[in-house]
Amino acid sequence: MSSELEREIGHDEFDPVGTLGLITIYFLILVVLWIFMYFVEFAGGDLTVVGVVV
Amino acid sequence: MNIHTYEKFWLGASMVLIVGFILTITYGSVGLGIAMVDDSEPTINPENVGDHPDFGDPGVEQVGENEYVVHVVAVQFAYFPGEIEVPADSTVTFKLTSEDVIHSFSVVGTNANTMIIPGEIASVTVEADEPGEYGIVCSEYCGSGHHDMEGKLTVVPQDEFELEGDE
Amino acid sequence: MSTESGTFLDQFPAEAKVVRTAFYSSFVALFVGALMGILQVLHRTDVLRIVDSADYYSLLTLHAVLLVLSFSVFFLVGIFTWAVTTSLDRGLQDLRYTWAWYGLMALGTLLAGIAVLGAFIPGLDMSAAVLYTFYAPLQAHPFYYLGLALFIVGTWLAGLDWFRSWWAWKKDNPDERIPLPTFMALTTTLFWILSSAGVAVSVLAFLLPWSLGIIDQVNALLTRTLFWYFGHAVVYFWLMPAYLLWYTMLPKISGGKLFSDPLARVVFVLFLILSTPTGIHHQYLDPGIAEGFKFIAMVNTMFLLLPSLLTAFTVVASMEHGARQRGGSGLFGWLRALPWRDPVFTGMALAGLMFAAAGFSGMINAGMNINYLVHNTWWVVGHFHLTVGTAVALTFMAATYWFLPQLTGKAIWSKSLGLVQVLVWFVGMTFMSNSMHRQGLIGVPRRTAEPQYSGFDYEVAVGSMAELNMQVIIGGTLLFISTLLFLTVVVMTVIGDKVDGLPDNGYADTLSGPEDAPLVLDNLKLWAGIAALLVILAYSLPLAAIITRGGILGPGGSPSPQFVDTLLFVGRVAADTVGGVIA
Ligand code: HEM
Ligand SMILES: [Cu+2]
Ligand SMILES: [Cu+2]
Repeated sequence: MSSELEREIGHDEFDPVGTLGLITIYFLILVVLWIFMYFVEFAGGDLTVVGVVV
Repeated sequence: MNIHTYEKFWLGASMVLIVGFILTITYGSVGLGIAMVDDSEPTINPENVGDHPDFGDPGVEQVGENEYVVHVVAVQFAYFPGEIEVPADSTVTFKLTSEDVIHSFSVVGTNANTMIIPGEIASVTVEADEPGEYGIVCSEYCGSGHHDMEGKLTVVPQDEFELEGDE
Repeated sequence: MSTESGTFLDQFPAEAKVVRTAFYSSFVALFVGALMGILQVLHRTDVLRIVDSADYYSLLTLHAVLLVLSFSVFFLVGIFTWAVTTSLDRGLQDLRYTWAWYGLMALGTLLAGIAVLGAFIPGLDMSAAVLYTFYAPLQAHPFYYLGLALFIVGTWLAGLDWFRSWWAWKKDNPDERIPLPTFMALTTTLFWILSSAGVAVSVLAFLLPWSLGIIDQVNALLTRTLFWYFGHAVVYFWLMPAYLLWYTMLPKISGGKLFSDPLARVVFVLFLILSTPTGIHHQYLDPGIAEGFKFIAMVNTMFLLLPSLLTAFTVVASMEHGARQRGGSGLFGWLRALPWRDPVFTGMALAGLMFAAAGFSGMINAGMNINYLVHNTWWVVGHFHLTVGTAVALTFMAATYWFLPQLTGKAIWSKSLGLVQVLVWFVGMTFMSNSMHRQGLIGVPRRTAEPQYSGFDYEVAVGSMAELNMQVIIGGTLLFISTLLFLTVVVMTVIGDKVDGLPDNGYADTLSGPEDAPLVLDNLKLWAGIAALLVILAYSLPLAAIITRGGILGPGGSPSPQFVDTLLFVGRVAADTVGGVIA
């Protein structure tokens, strides 16, 4: 496997910018989907369950 | 322990997500008033459901101006009553219990959904706003005829609504 | 790292045999389980119904028990045995003991399987159509409960085996840090024992005696709660070996190093302490449990997202490290430099990607009141086919392409077929799971032989029910084909000849190693203590309340179906016959 390596990158020279980018996108997707699911799909649905009145 | 700056950032973002989720749910409970099925009802002996003052004669009952209570008994593989009619613009409390195994009462495509456990009474209150027809299914596996267990909920316009046995 | 280089088989031939046998057992379970899976798909969509709808539930019980108990757990004990042996560089203490726990697990599976399949043998009064959750008063044949109990005891003994290795190693290496793979196996074992104690109590104290007619009723809510006390932790039990592979193999296969050993330890400690006090989130819609307890379970569950979110970062960063060492560059361009032709890498990476998607549906499932929307719908089934059904299962299949040569000394029969196999799984699951999620949102229930009802139709907002069902059929078929491809590669590899020049056994190095991790992280007693404390805090009040409400043996609900009568009858007939013979 190491034969395929073009260079050795040590701990201090490695900044995972790509990871940061991907994970930020993931974060945004989660936030948008959460809001959609909670407020549109769920809270906007029929027969909203409420506290017991009787 | 050295944590990379980006990783610290992600740790912070993760905490924001987690706290945000908890706050949303809390807002649903406190702000929108969505209550969970809970332990506020007394227990019931599943062997004597028929003698119970309310479940002995299940069905729709008016308890306030626009408030109704529906008692439903679930057994393998049916609900009693199987067809439920309530008026629109009302608040309806379903009280459910089982004579045998665990079932559910799930009004298809809506948020009215609860488990029915023998020995317990599940109570769910919903706002029925618009007229409409809904299927009710048992979504908790209850035995070989589970897929046949269904019911019907009809929300009728207020002026068309009539309590059974009122005539 | 090892005294002697070479494959795992060269280093530890006896242990390799154990791991190999565990893997083969797991693959047999995978085959039968997948067969049930495709039958379920065809039955529900009404394409082909080879059994009565009443018997559908026996197939479903078998599917779940074989896949989430036998397939996952046999593979898991294999992985952990490999991980502990390799990272401590020492063999197991006593192989007779090792084979004993393997034997218990195999016997347990067999008994439970017989109980389920008994339903199809005419004249034999045996069945276990209670699904893998066996909620009382639904009753299974005693063999089913006995089988599950034996299986679980077997896994406990396996855990003890890994502990024994570690204790022995510690004597020889008093000042060393616990190697990461061993650390992972041990922390997982601890929360597994803590959580499965709940289901053990439920089975041994209540369900088994009840099925034997020794007690005549049980508390339905209590046994259900004890099941879920274990039922959430068990999902992490399945997941931890996949995490172990993502942390210790994936970086190496990507051509890099693990980004952070200390954070990996933190993640496993978090799983140890938080996995169990969350189970009530499966009971959000149960009557008889106070809303407050449900809320506490939710808060714990939400915080349990943290170790998975941290894992996402560490694992992706380790892959990025590999890709950049292989010459990748750019903000996202490095992704192209990853070894996409290697089924081991691609399988695991796609499994991880699906797990990210599962993270989203899992967050919805974790939410308390939003559970009204999704509880017991097909949404949930869509969710866990992404988690255990792909994040775990696909990782295991991909890892097999690395492990099999290590365990047999033979080269993978066809790596390109392996690549096709993992891709087909990914595509199949995309279809099946997407449709299951969407069907769930319109209210289609899970665990139903015939999701078509006479009194109403589902309202599909986008597309149609036919289209959604078609997706499930296509997806399920692709998944079944993928399983067959996988088994073909395995069988062809195993019957092949031994070769030289296989890669050495080993696992990934770290960029930031254990020397950066605070010593307290290795204090397993401390973390186990905290885990037990949190469990007591989260569960003592709910359990006390349930017992006070319904009584320890419950307010009733008669068993269904009842085996006691038949047992008694058979017993009486036997006694009479014997009596007759003697007289
Ligand atoms: C060939 C691949 C597979 C197919 C076609 C398949 C199909 C299905 C279907 C259609 C159901 C839903 C049944 C219902 O709700 O009525 C189901 C349930 C389930 N599957 Fe799979 N599945 C596959 C693989 C897996 C794998 C690999 C796992 C786990 C390792 C798994 C675990 C489960 C579990 C736990 C259930 C729930 C059982 C229950 O509700 O009691 N499946 N599967
Ligand atoms: Cu049912
Ligand atoms: Cu869970």
